[in-house]
Amino acid sequence: MRPLREVHFWTWVALAVALALAFLLGLGERPSSTPVNPSIEWEKTR
Amino acid sequence: MSVHYQAVGWNRQKRIYDGVMGGGVALYLGAFVGLGAWVHPQATAETLLIRGLGTCALLLLHVILSIGPLARLDARLLPLLYNRRHLGVTMFTLALAHGVFSLVQFHALGDVPAPVSLLTANTRWNSVAQFPFEILGAAALGILFLMAATSHDFWLNQLSPQVWKRLHMCVYAAYLLLIAHVLLGALQSERSPLLAAILGLGCMVVTGLHLAAGARERRIDRERREAETDGFVEVCDFHAIPEKRARVISLGGERVAVFRHDGKVSALSNVCAHQNGPLGEGKIVDGCVTCPWHGYQYLPDTGMSPPPFLEKVATYRTRLAGTRVLVHPMPCVSALKKEAAR
Repeated sequence: MRPLREVHFWTWVALAVALALAFLLGLGERPSSTPVNPSIEWEKTR
Repeated sequence: MSVHYQAVGWNRQKRIYDGVMGGGVALYLGAFVGLGAWVHPQATAETLLIRGLGTCALLLLHVILSIGPLARLDARLLPLLYNRRHLGVTMFTLALAHGVFSLVQFHALGDVPAPVSLLTANTRWNSVAQFPFEILGAAALGILFLMAATSHDFWLNQLSPQVWKRLHMCVYAAYLLLIAHVLLGALQSERSPLLAAILGLGCMVVTGLHLAAGARERRIDRERREAETDGFVEVCDFHAIPEKRARVISLGGERVAVFRHDGKVSALSNVCAHQNGPLGEGKIVDGCVTCPWHGYQYLPDTGMSPPPFLEKVATYRTRLAGTRVLVHPMPCVSALKKEAAR
């Protein structure tokens, strides 16, 4: 049973990393919900 | 324990457990649809129902995944484990309803069959904001179906506890797929930071509990005990074990439950033959070691289930030196399969 416990533990370590990456990717790439302000030059490229 | 298979071995505890679960699900769905219609009057009933079913399934999955480590960290929560399979099947049913309603709502009115539409309508695999997140949910639903379909003891026996356990550990892959399904789906259009924070908190709680419980298990596994000249290993003082209860130790990498009963000690494998439950967290009831998960029983001296049952777990030789409890690390019976006990 010990190998299964080890597999279980390391699976959750890997899951913690994968979940953190999923959050970074999923939330980091969301386009902003704030409307573009056309009077500000750099915002036109947003 | 039962000699014959039956769909559900109902008893009072299971009825209470399922009653609380069913009531909680109905209350959640009612509150979600009711509040949703009030806050977003433009939302259709179908949309509210689809989202209510999906969030309810996801919430239930977090509860299910938290029960195991919580019961390991605090034995008082062990009763939650007793009927966890009913929670799992309920969660799958909610997720299936969410999937079917979504398929009908978004894919059933086109020129191609709905399942084909699901797989081919969106191919923007390189876009995060428009990723075909539905396929992630469908893949998770496939895994959950396999688990729900094999949740009965009939399949546990057909597949063997080891294979069954490994199959059911696929829930972790399903969990990752579902979180990605929500992050790349609903949370791309629903921008409220509160929703993202709730999902993040849920992930942190589940992951944190599993890592904390896993670290505790690893500490027990790494305990080193010196053998005496006759090979026996000192475990603890006799009085340190409560009457009809056990102390769990690690001997040669295997967990052993040392029970105290009627002025003597008996040592058994800590692994129940049914679903690998922790026997050492159970107690002696009617002269039998009783697994805290599903009540499987074993005679403390032989490791055999009382007739007519055929289950068997390994036993270990024990010795008392004064009040010192000693256990030999070699099991008396190595074959755990019940066929070997026949």
